[in-house]
Amino acid sequence: MISKKVILTGSFGVGKTSLFNQFIYSRFSDKYLTTIGVKVNKKTIEVNGREISLLVWDIAGEVSQDKVPTSYFLGASGIIYVFDLTRPSTYKNLEEDINYLKDMVKGGIIKVVGNKEDLVTEEQLEEVKKEISMPWDITTSAKTGKNVESLFQQLGAELLD
Amino acid sequence: MDKGRKPDSRDEELLLKELRQILLREDRDALEQLQEILDNKEQLTPRISPIIKEQIDLLKSNFPDEYRQEVREITKEQLLDSQEDILNLLYPAMGKMIKRYIAHQFQILKDSIDDRVKNTFSSQGILGKIKASLFGINSSDIILSDIDSPIIEEIFVVQRDSGLLMGQASIRSTIDQDVVAGMLTAIKAFVEDAFQKGTEELELIEYDTHAIFTQSFHSYYIAVAMKGSLSSGERDKLSTSLYDFAEKELKHRAKEIDETNFNYISSKLEEYFITTQLNKERTAV
Ligand SMILES: Nc1nc2c(ncn2[C@@H]2O[C@H](COP(=O)(O)OP(=O)(O)O)[C@@H](O)[C@H]2O)c(=O)[nH]1
Ligand SMILES: [Mg+2]
Repeated sequence: MISKKVILTGSFGVGKTSLFNQFIYSRFSDKYLTTIGVKVNKKTIEVNGREISLLVWDIAGEVSQDKVPTSYFLGASGIIYVFDLTRPSTYKNLEEDINYLKDMVKGGIIKVVGNKEDLVTEEQLEEVKKEISMPWDITTSAKTGKNVESLFQQLGAELLD
Repeated sequence: MDKGRKPDSRDEELLLKELRQILLREDRDALEQLQEILDNKEQLTPRISPIIKEQIDLLKSNFPDEYRQEVREITKEQLLDSQEDILNLLYPAMGKMIKRYIAHQFQILKDSIDDRVKNTFSSQGILGKIKASLFGINSSDIILSDIDSPIIEEIFVVQRDSGLLMGQASIRSTIDQDVVAGMLTAIKAFVEDAFQKGTEELELIEYDTHAIFTQSFHSYYIAVAMKGSLSSGERDKLSTSLYDFAEKELKHRAKEIDETNFNYISSKLEEYFITTQLNKERTAV
């Protein structure tokens, strides 16, 4: 089976850990997140009949991406960047962050995720779209589970390409 | 090659001299220098060509049949053109060479101390020898005897950057070794980032009655999870067997993680480190 390393990053409190906790079997307790700033989770999915193992490095929230130890990005094939639709501070540097991350994983796949969809109305969502200069890939809710599985499916499919 | 052989030939003396010069500087310096030489064809060629020429001349005049296959192997290896490959080929051999060199230096040091002790307290020197020969073992073996030598519980080969598992074996079937390999890589990266700079690497993690020993190679590292603590002698022995393993089994399998390589590496880990251990335990009981 193919295994790929994926980095899960974004500001503190945007819902990175919640997004995956209910879906991934976890051998390690979340206390690793506070002590060493990262926790590795595994999710095996099936994409078009092929299995792929995602080793997802959940990074403890940092306000700015360049504070994340660069060695964590080594050998990663993909990045999931999460922001919180209800907090502008988590997406005000979106473009800057994405450019930085593109540089960290040259040729890697980056998925930009707007989370906490359950907390915003249609109108608010439109407002956020206007505020952010670039389109993001998928809108999710870790609470209701909306689009979480399809985020993985999309990522898995692109990683297998 | 014979491990106990004294490095008495001229070539080896020269190599050791080169090595000493490299080692005397800071580790980082030496590594950077090696890296530079390896990266740079202009630098590598003049250094290697004379050695190769000398070896070829030597071979021409003295070429036993049993080496023919060996030479074929080497030629095949030289055809591998990528630098990654060359580094993965050289790493275990270089590590072993440096280790042997250090062991040699320690032997010289020990010999000279022994000599002095013998000359100063000759009666005690003799006494010690008699005692040792009575038991049929020499004194350094007594010191190094491993009454409760550690048990290898799990062993992993891990891609260094990504933390992805390249192969594993363990005494019991446990789950999610690839998550463990990832965490271990994260912890290694964390410690190396936080406390050390440059080329230093985390080698040993100890907790309660367990220890994780890691040995780094160019593009991967091997992690050994053990029950029991590791004496410096045992650590050295383990490290040597990891170098041997890497040299024999991982040379051409370090580049890509696929099912064939994974299964091969895993079965070899089992064979080298788990099965033999279980046999030993069985005979010991
Ligand atoms: N309503 C709602 N709350 C969420 C969602 N995702 C995360 N949260 C909450 O946001 C807080 C921070 O989540 P956490 O996963 O720890 O964020 P992280 O720092 O990015 O890992 C927690 O209280 C979660 O319960 C979501 O989609 N909807
Ligand atoms: Mg978190």
